[in-house]
Amino acid sequence: MMRPEWHAPWKLMRVISGHLGWVRCISVEPGNKWFATGAGDRTIKIWDLASGNLKLTLTGHISPVRGVAVSPRHPYLFSCGEDKMVKCWDLEYNKVIRHYHGHLSGIYSLALHPVLDVLVTAGRDATARVWDMRTKQCVHVLSGHTGTIADVKVQEADPQVITGSMDSTIRLWDLAAGKTMATLTHHKKSVRALALHPTQFAFASGSADGIKQWKCPEGQLLQTCTGHRTIINTLSVNADGVLVSGGDNGSLSFWDWKTGHNFQSIASQVQPGSLESEAGIFTSSFDQTGLRLITGEADKTIKIWKEDDEAVSPYVATV
Amino acid sequence: MKFKPTPLLPMAICIVTTFGDSKCVLPKPKNVPVKEHSSRTESVPSTLTALSVTKPNGPPPYGRRKGWVPHTAEDFGDGGAFPEVHVTQYPIGLGRKGKAVATRSTTTGAPLSLQVNAQGEVQYDAIARQGHAASQLVQTQFKDLVPLRDQANFQSLDTDSLLERPDSQTVRETAERTRAALEKVTQSRIAAAQPKAVTNATNKDPQYIRYTPNQQGGTYNSGSQQRIVRMVEMPVDPFEPQRFKHKKIPKGPPSPPAPIMHSPPRKPTAEEQEEWFVPPSISNWKNAKGFTIPLDKRLAADGRGLQEVQINDNFAKFADALNAADRHAREGVRQRALQQQRLAQKKKDERDQHLRTLAQQAREARAGLVAATEGDDAVLNGRSARSEDGDTGEDEAYRKREEMRQERQREREREARLSHLSTSQRAKAMARSENRDISEKVALGLAKPTGSKESMFDQRLFNMSEGLSSGFKGDDAYNLYDKPLFGGASGSAGIYRPSRGTDSDAYGGGNAEAITEMLQQDRFEHSSTFQGFKGADANRQSSGPVQFEKSQPTAYTAVKSTSDVFGLDQFMEQAKRLKRSSDAPAKPSGSPSKRPRD
Repeated sequence: MMRPEWHAPWKLMRVISGHLGWVRCISVEPGNKWFATGAGDRTIKIWDLASGNLKLTLTGHISPVRGVAVSPRHPYLFSCGEDKMVKCWDLEYNKVIRHYHGHLSGIYSLALHPVLDVLVTAGRDATARVWDMRTKQCVHVLSGHTGTIADVKVQEADPQVITGSMDSTIRLWDLAAGKTMATLTHHKKSVRALALHPTQFAFASGSADGIKQWKCPEGQLLQTCTGHRTIINTLSVNADGVLVSGGDNGSLSFWDWKTGHNFQSIASQVQPGSLESEAGIFTSSFDQTGLRLITGEADKTIKIWKEDDEAVSPYVATV
Repeated sequence: MKFKPTPLLPMAICIVTTFGDSKCVLPKPKNVPVKEHSSRTESVPSTLTALSVTKPNGPPPYGRRKGWVPHTAEDFGDGGAFPEVHVTQYPIGLGRKGKAVATRSTTTGAPLSLQVNAQGEVQYDAIARQGHAASQLVQTQFKDLVPLRDQANFQSLDTDSLLERPDSQTVRETAERTRAALEKVTQSRIAAAQPKAVTNATNKDPQYIRYTPNQQGGTYNSGSQQRIVRMVEMPVDPFEPQRFKHKKIPKGPPSPPAPIMHSPPRKPTAEEQEEWFVPPSISNWKNAKGFTIPLDKRLAADGRGLQEVQINDNFAKFADALNAADRHAREGVRQRALQQQRLAQKKKDERDQHLRTLAQQAREARAGLVAATEGDDAVLNGRSARSEDGDTGEDEAYRKREEMRQERQREREREARLSHLSTSQRAKAMARSENRDISEKVALGLAKPTGSKESMFDQRLFNMSEGLSSGFKGDDAYNLYDKPLFGGASGSAGIYRPSRGTDSDAYGGGNAEAITEMLQQDRFEHSSTFQGFKGADANRQSSGPVQFEKSQPTAYTAVKSTSDVFGLDQFMEQAKRLKRSSDAPAKPSGSPSKRPRD
């Protein structure tokens, strides 16, 4: 048995209240200056990461915004929503410059290709669609799932597209051919969350029956982390090997990536005026440094978490 | 090499059987390959092969077919199915669906051929890979279920290098390859989407084709050896609608399912089902449109009212028993009270009787009528005794006295009873007797029975369709003067209504006829012949109340009036009458028979 690595405990640093609906998606800008959130109030808001001030509100969606992504290589922000629309916002003009039309139902997730000018969206019509950014053409329709696709991730090497679906399967896709490379059927409940490891060639998937880590090219099962007994809405990994799972009941669990040890569990407090049942974490994202965790919650707030500075590793003390 | 006989390889079984048959012919082999038969015929020794060839390839004889299953067409040996072999059989391919008898191919629908991997192990996962592209990863092994980190050999490996992200070279290559593939798709999509440029085929130059027919001769081809054909593109109407309709190609079969790498779902326990119960009023399935259901409807719908309250029969029995016991006890108490009352009454009666006799004796003694010898009974029944005697000397006075005495006695009894009552009861009795006895009023003519039937009813109840239950009209309802005071026949309407004739009479007539009639009337008729009193005329129609004239005072009345100028006589009369009427109620009970007995 491996000894888990020590991680400082995480604590709540800031609560940002500004959205009028559930905060469904978060994307941190590559420059780590600001981040964008999409919410059930049909707006996309851009916040200053350091101060937490609202910088901009983008309106245009007519249904909850379910996915936002800031492109690292263009001055663009992409967003998708339950109104079946994918929008490309030009951040120099703060206007929509492109629409990607084709989804048959609400879009639940969006991911940008790190190298190619391609974005992938997936949603309730059980398909993932690959869009050519410039020409707005739907290059591939990745169909094969039998249920809503809850999350999609894109990486630079094969398998370039990974989708997790409500049919409790994960599919790895060959982007060039537009075909399934592998189907992972280990989960028993719907897979709502996927997270790519920033440094290792592996990813994690979260479902109500547990979190599983997978080795990447062939999709071998690496590890199973059980203990977060709720519907897992979101997963995030940082470079230090901290895996965060956010539950539908507002619980946050922190795991050591390598050993799958659950080193911390927090229940998120709802903001005053909210019901107890409004505790729920929909989305989470580490900032570019991995030192701050941003979560979007059902009590309409954005919460920023950080590691406890004063915590000292017991191993360091003994050595 | 190990081999498990499978139904896919019947040849091997055939070989085994021939081997068993040839045991007697050949010397016993040194190393009996018990289970080590190869699946391939090549690996079988040549001698055995030769033997197997010589043996006719048919079914085993009848009675030796236990455990034997026909697989190929040869196994049936030109015959039909074997009824004693309980497997589905297709002799000469009869009834088999899809492919023909013995042609086994790897195409879809055909039975899968057994495959062996590099180590010579049977690849049972071939069935899972069937239909998938070779490049597709299909997890079929048990080890795919075991997490890598738990596997023994993984611990020894350098995990960091194993999980290293692909280097930039690979990434670049992948990106290039993908970009090319995607671009190809995009180009084709764009090309398909772009409207085609209008072809200039229409103004293409005509083509000339020299044509030499095969059959030459004067009769053919108008006798000419060659023809020159001019080919011109047919002009196309650019606005012509499409001649061909695009049909949607039906979706192809889905890719075969991936092996399921998890245990079957557990059946939810009752508690879990209970936990997941969603009330239909807020359920997304039952109330898909999300209507707000009122609370009373929710209560009505949840079936709480449908549950009937079950009450044990014993409750009813118990209540009955209690009632019966109660009744019984009350009955007992009542009987006892009655008994005591009767006893007390009897005792009191006796005492009263005794007192009465004493009083009677005293009275009689006082009256001097009594004979010491006369008994009590004789006194009491004196009247009857005397009547029996038939003594006519007994006069009316005696009877009257007797009656009065009895009356007094009754009075006394009543007073005694009243004196025995408690104060409250006495007060009640007094109050009752005060207003109850109206015999005097009747005698005086003050109390009269209600005359008309109409006044028996409350007038307010009339013309009310709802009846009394609807209540009387409200206080503010203006129904007091809604009817004439003396309406109907009793009123003046019938009396004072002037007839038409008199009307015209009174007002001098409206029409000429009436006036002439009036003029012709003999107005002094009665003066000539007197026919009795004017008012007593039966034929005369009265048109109003009888009017009397003040009569002239006659001689007698004139005398009387003169004698009683001051009305003294009248006054005396009145005073007398008043005195009589005031005397009457002061008398104790005008007629004793009308006094109510209590």
